[in-house]
Amino acid sequence: MAKDVEAVPGEGFQTRDYQDPPPAPFIDGAELKKWSFYRAVIAEFVATLLFLYITVLTVIGYKIQSDTDAGGVDCGGVGILGIAWAFGGMIFILVYCTAGISGGHINPAVTFGLFLARKVSLPRALLYIIAQCLGAICGVGFVKAFQSSYYTRYGGGANSLADGYSTGTGLAAEIIGTFVLVYTVFSATDPKRSARDSHVPVLAPLPIGFAVFMVHLATIPITGTGINPARSFGAAVIYNKSKPWDDHWIFWVGPFIGAAIAAFYHQFVLRASGSKSLGSFRSAANV
Amino acid sequence: MEGKEEDVRVGANKFPERQPIGTSAQSDKDYKEPPPAPLFEPGELASWSFWRAGIAEFIATFLFLYITVLTVMGVKRSPNMCASVGIQGIAWAFGGMIFALVYCTAGISGGHINPAVTFGLFLARKLSLTRAVYYIVMQCLGAICGAGVVKGFQPKQYQALGGGANTIAHGYTKGSGLGAEIIGTFVLVYTVFSATDAKRNARDSHVPILAPLPIGFAVFLVHLATIPITGTGINPARSLGAAIIFNKDNAWDDHWVFWVGPFIGAALAALYHVIVIRAIPFKSRS
Repeated sequence: MAKDVEAVPGEGFQTRDYQDPPPAPFIDGAELKKWSFYRAVIAEFVATLLFLYITVLTVIGYKIQSDTDAGGVDCGGVGILGIAWAFGGMIFILVYCTAGISGGHINPAVTFGLFLARKVSLPRALLYIIAQCLGAICGVGFVKAFQSSYYTRYGGGANSLADGYSTGTGLAAEIIGTFVLVYTVFSATDPKRSARDSHVPVLAPLPIGFAVFMVHLATIPITGTGINPARSFGAAVIYNKSKPWDDHWIFWVGPFIGAAIAAFYHQFVLRASGSKSLGSFRSAANV
Repeated sequence: MEGKEEDVRVGANKFPERQPIGTSAQSDKDYKEPPPAPLFEPGELASWSFWRAGIAEFIATFLFLYITVLTVMGVKRSPNMCASVGIQGIAWAFGGMIFALVYCTAGISGGHINPAVTFGLFLARKLSLTRAVYYIVMQCLGAICGAGVVKGFQPKQYQALGGGANTIAHGYTKGSGLGAEIIGTFVLVYTVFSATDAKRNARDSHVPILAPLPIGFAVFLVHLATIPITGTGINPARSLGAAIIFNKDNAWDDHWVFWVGPFIGAALAALYHVIVIRAIPFKSRS
């Protein structure tokens, strides 16, 4: 109904040079019948599988090559910087590859944030999150299959709180880190920006990848950096020791809170969609 | 298969199919899938652009091996890792060089620089058999020459320090090495398919410089992950060039892994992209 009002040429709407897509329906029965829906879920699964495989393999490889007690050398391996590049770079290329297929979430927190902002329906959000978690488990499973003893010896790439940091600190780091990521996702995919900046969509994955990279630079010393519940879940399931499981709730609660805050900030503060919807009610009344 | 309901009402057709975040919906197909390349195309042999493309692949692979193997040699001969660019620097050399070279040769030969990429694109019917074979031969020759120049700079050290050849590291089985090569090449070739997809080019107002960037990043990332396992092949020409110039038993013992793995990975990527993502065989023939 609001769309019909907007379609009629009115004074207030003529100057707008972009079109906001309508809110996604809560449950969209039609999309369940389309191949593109299931293809998107498959794409999320494969993308998260590759993401975990490359990143956890990089983590384990670094620990092997820098372990001076077992044949490694000082400054061996790709370094902590290399690990951060693995995470950020992998998000860049995977978002690039799957943006047109599934939206390129690769992260339950991103899916949750976009769901809160009414950009994906509930069934789609749920299936994405399930596919992401399964993909993460399979990705880490590959890493373990290729180097079982190394994998177990060097911590399995699992997220857990480092010594010297409290639970609250870890939680706060995850909240703010995920806020940075999801806020960047919202900015990169904003239709208003696309219209105003002659936005080249291929560039959207680059700031998203860099956001992940930057957050990893900052919080690897604290939690190994989750900001992606599927990533933390996959490593915890395959590694399956008590230490990662003890802290595991941080890597779901933190990212989901961070995503919710980012969704609220972008939708209600930056885009002020709440007041716009009130405005459209007034227009409807006039008509 | 994707039949869209015809509806001429103004605005009603604005969002016929919900698009992923941020993208505006398209009511008509705005791209054209190029027709499958013929298996044999004798006519292209008479065209200079065909031979020029092979020469471009040769030069690109030559430069690729020269820069990357020389970087590896620099790290190996350094007194310790802290005094060199390190393993991450090696990964950057591989990924950065692919980025630069794909950018330079994309318009000339498609910028493959990798027999696995050529094989994957061949399976997806994007080039003819003659062109695929020609590219692979030129890539291998370029790789041999590139590694040869590096050896020419430092013959004794080259042999003493492993020649940048790919081998499976201690602590890993051949199966692990093969698996790492398969998945690593899948990442690379899948990124190549995504970057060169006709549908994406039409929708994204494709900016040519940006296609090589994710491809270079894919190479960089796979090197970060699998250098500890195999030194990272994912490029049979790269592995062959170093193996031929180094020419020791341990390089040849594992060499089959660096052809079988990449070719399987490329085939899987082609399959995934064509069948699952684009569903090309299921499109209706118009």
